Amino acid sequence: MLPALLLVGAAAWVPARWGSTDPKTLELLRGTPVNCLLVEQASPEFAAEAAGRGLAVLLAARAGEAPEAVARRAAELRLAGVVLEGAFQPAAIEQARRLLEQAGLTLIELPPRALLRLEGGGPVVGTTQGLWPGIRVFEDGAVHAAPTGGPWVETNTGFLRYVRAASEAAIWMGNRPPPKAIFPVERYLAAIADAAIAGARWVVALDEDFQGRLYARQAKALAAWARIAAHLRFYEDHGEWRSWKPAGRLALIQDEHSGALLSGGVLDMIAVKHAPVRPVPRRLLSGEALRGARVAVNVDPAALSDQQKEILRGFTRGGGVLLSGPPGWKFPMPEGDRITLEDKDLERLNEIWREVNSLVGRRNLGARLFNVSGMLSNLVAAPDGKRAVLHLVNFTSQPAENITVHLAGGVGRVRLLSPEEPERELAPYGIEEGAAVEIERVCSCAALLLDWKQ
Amino acid sequence: MTRRELLGVLGGAVAARAKEPPAAPVAIGKAAGYDGDLTGALGRLFDQLGGLGRLVKGKTVTLKLNLTGSPALRFQGRPLGATHYVHPRVVGAVVHLMGQAGARRVRLVESCWASGGPLEEYLLDSGWPVRALAAAAAAVEFENTNNLGKSRRYARFKTPPGAWIFPAYDLNQAYLETDVFVSLAKLKNHATCGVTLSLKNCFGITPASIYGDDAGREEPNENPSKGRAEVLHFGRRGPSRSAPQELDPGSSRADGYRVPRITAELAAARPIDLAVIDGIQTVTGGEGPWIRGLKFVEPGLLIAGWNPVSTDAVAMAVMGYDPQAGRGVPPFRGCDNTLKLAEALGVGSADLARIEVRGLGIEQARFPFPV
Repeated sequence: MLPALLLVGAAAWVPARWGSTDPKTLELLRGTPVNCLLVEQASPEFAAEAAGRGLAVLLAARAGEAPEAVARRAAELRLAGVVLEGAFQPAAIEQARRLLEQAGLTLIELPPRALLRLEGGGPVVGTTQGLWPGIRVFEDGAVHAAPTGGPWVETNTGFLRYVRAASEAAIWMGNRPPPKAIFPVERYLAAIADAAIAGARWVVALDEDFQGRLYARQAKALAAWARIAAHLRFYEDHGEWRSWKPAGRLALIQDEHSGALLSGGVLDMIAVKHAPVRPVPRRLLSGEALRGARVAVNVDPAALSDQQKEILRGFTRGGGVLLSGPPGWKFPMPEGDRITLEDKDLERLNEIWREVNSLVGRRNLGARLFNVSGMLSNLVAAPDGKRAVLHLVNFTSQPAENITVHLAGGVGRVRLLSPEEPERELAPYGIEEGAAVEIERVCSCAALLLDWKQ
Repeated sequence: MTRRELLGVLGGAVAARAKEPPAAPVAIGKAAGYDGDLTGALGRLFDQLGGLGRLVKGKTVTLKLNLTGSPALRFQGRPLGATHYVHPRVVGAVVHLMGQAGARRVRLVESCWASGGPLEEYLLDSGWPVRALAAAAAAVEFENTNNLGKSRRYARFKTPPGAWIFPAYDLNQAYLETDVFVSLAKLKNHATCGVTLSLKNCFGITPASIYGDDAGREEPNENPSKGRAEVLHFGRRGPSRSAPQELDPGSSRADGYRVPRITAELAAARPIDLAVIDGIQTVTGGEGPWIRGLKFVEPGLLIAGWNPVSTDAVAMAVMGYDPQAGRGVPPFRGCDNTLKLAEALGVGSADLARIEVRGLGIEQARFPFPV
C-alpha cells in the first residue's frame, strides 16, 4: 500500500478527520477528492480497506499523549504516518520523527500558532487553532437612530495568507467544530473556501451530529456531504491557484512577532475592506517581494535591519508610498488559546484602517469590489503574470447579488467559476482604471478567472 | 354687525386663508413588486397628478434618493431596496419618466453615509445597476452631496422667519442648480421622527462635511467619515464655523425636538417640488437594520404628490396614523410632528380634509404600521 501513497505525497493530501473505524464508511469517500484521513484509532481491517482505496491514514496524537507510542502504533498498523495536534516536548517529537522515518512514515505537526515552524519544517505546516469562518455583526445599541458599522467576517485567511507567504509547505487548517456544535452545511463550505482562497486546505472535520447521520447514510447528510465534496473538488481541480502569488499592489510587511499569526489583525482588517494586499514576511523583504507594489505598510519599523531599511528607501525612491506604523500597530504573538485580538484592541485596528485608507483612498490596487459586504476576496496571479484569479467567498446566509469588480488594467477573457454552477463567461467593459465586470450572483464561493491584456 | 365689523371679519378670514399652507393632490397606486411594470404604475400616478411635462420639460431635475445608513448593513440579508433604501427600480422608472417628459438633465443626489466618494460607487456598493440608471434618460448625473462634490463652494439656503434651529443651511450646489427638486423616499418608520417619508428623506441633504461628527471646526472636512448625530441630532457641537450657527444654543438638545425641526426647516429652505414614496416593500419599526424590532412588510404601494407635507400626510394615513397627531401619540411618541412643524413654516398642509386623494383611496390602500 505504501508505494501508492508515497506517489501522491503529503503535499497533495486532501485531509479529513474520520470518526468511524468501520471500514464500510470509507465507501462514503468514493468520488470525493479526500485522500487522507486523520483518525484517533484504527483497526487492521480499517487500515487495510483504506490502503486498498488508496487513502493515506494518519494516526492523530493529542497533547498529553506520548508521540512515540502513537508512532509505534501507526507503524504496526502500516498507516501513512502520524499527526501531532497541539504542543509536545521537542525531544518527544524528535523521538517520534526518528521512529517514523525508520518505518518510512510521515510526521505532520499541527501545533498552536505560536509554535509554528515556518522554515525547514515538514511537508505540511499547519495548526489546530482556527476560527470558524462566518459573520460577526457589531452592534452599537447606544446610538439612537444612527447606523453602526458593517459586518465583520470571522476568518483565518489573514493568518493563512501570511503563512502562505512565509512557507513553501502545504498548509493545513486543522480546527475542529466546537463541542456540541451543529452547523449547517454552509459553515463547512465557508471553512473550505476560507482556507482555499489563502492557498491552504481545511482539514474537513464534521460535527458529531453530522458524522452520525453521515455514517448512517441519511439522505440529508449525504446531500450535504456531496456539497462539501464538490467544494473540495473545485479547489483541487484548480490546485495551481494555491501557489499563485498575491497580486495586490498594497504590501503589508509584518512578521510573527508583530501580529501576523493572529486572526482579526491588520491583514484581516485590510482584507475585509477588500483592498488587495500582499503579505510580505519581514525576513523575506526584498526588492522582488515589493515588485509591482504601489503602497507598503510597515507594521514594525523598529524591527528592520539596515539592509531592509535600504530596500524600503529604494521602494520610496522608485515612487512607492510607505506607511510606517507607530509602536501601537504591533500586536503580540498568540498566547494559549487566544488567537484573536482583544476587544480593547479593535479601536486601534480602526485607527490603523483610517490611516491606511487615507493613504490608499480610492486607488485601485489590483481590484476594487462593490456590494461585497459579508464577503472576502483574494487576488492572486499566475507566475507568468498573464492570468489572475480573484477569489470570492460569501459568508452570508443569502446569495450575494449584483457585485461589481473594477480591475486595474485591461482584461481579455473573464470567466466566473464556482463549485455548484456552470462556468460563465462575463463581458468586461472599459472604465477609467481598466476594466469592470458585473457578477450577477455568488452563492458560497466563486473564482473570477482573468486573462490580462498584455 | 356693522359694515366695518363685517369687513373686519371677512378681511381676517381672507388673511387667515392666505396664510393657510398650500395643499396639493396626492395619488396612490398599487404595485405588486419591483419586477412588474413600475414605469407604467408611476406614469399613471403622475398622470393622475396632471402629468410631469409641465414641471420638468426642458428643466434640470434633481432626485434626492433615500439611502439610509451604510450599504454594508442589510436586514435579514435582503437587498437594501427591499427594506430601508428606496428601490433602484423605482428610481430607474422615475428617471425614465422624467426623461420621457422632456427633462433636460436628471441628477441623482444623496449625502452618502460616512463617505465623500462618488455617488456612483456608493450605489455600486448598494448593488445598484448604475450603468442602467445612467442610461434611463438622456443626461443622467450622479452627485454625492455629503461634501462639495463637483462644485467649488457651498450654496446657502435661508430658513423662513419662525425657524427654530438654524437661520440657514450650507448645502451642495446641486440643490441650488436645479429647476425641480424631487424627494424619492421610502415608506417607513423612523426611530427619532416617527416616520421617514418625503420630508425626513431631505434631512439627508445636509453635508456631513459641515454637519457631520467629524466636520471641520472652522472649515468643512471634505472627507467626512461619520454621521450627523453630534451636530444635528443632539447639538453637542456646532457645524463648521464657515456655516451659519444655531439660532438659540440654549434650546433643547433632545433629538426628538431637534430633528423634526431641522427637517421642517430644510423643507422650507429647499422646497420640494415633487414627493414620491416607495412603499412596495419596506420595513416597519424603524429606519434601518440598526433599530431593534424591525419587520419586513410588503404594502405594495406607490404614493406621489406635488406637496411633500400633503403627500406625507396621506402616506401617514395609509400607515394608519393621524398626520395631525401631537407629541406622545404614535408614531410621535418621543418627538414632535415634523409635518405640523413644516405646516407651521408654510411648507404645506397636513390636513386630510384639504387634500384631494386620487387613484386608490386611503381606505383601500390602508396598510397599518405598528403603533
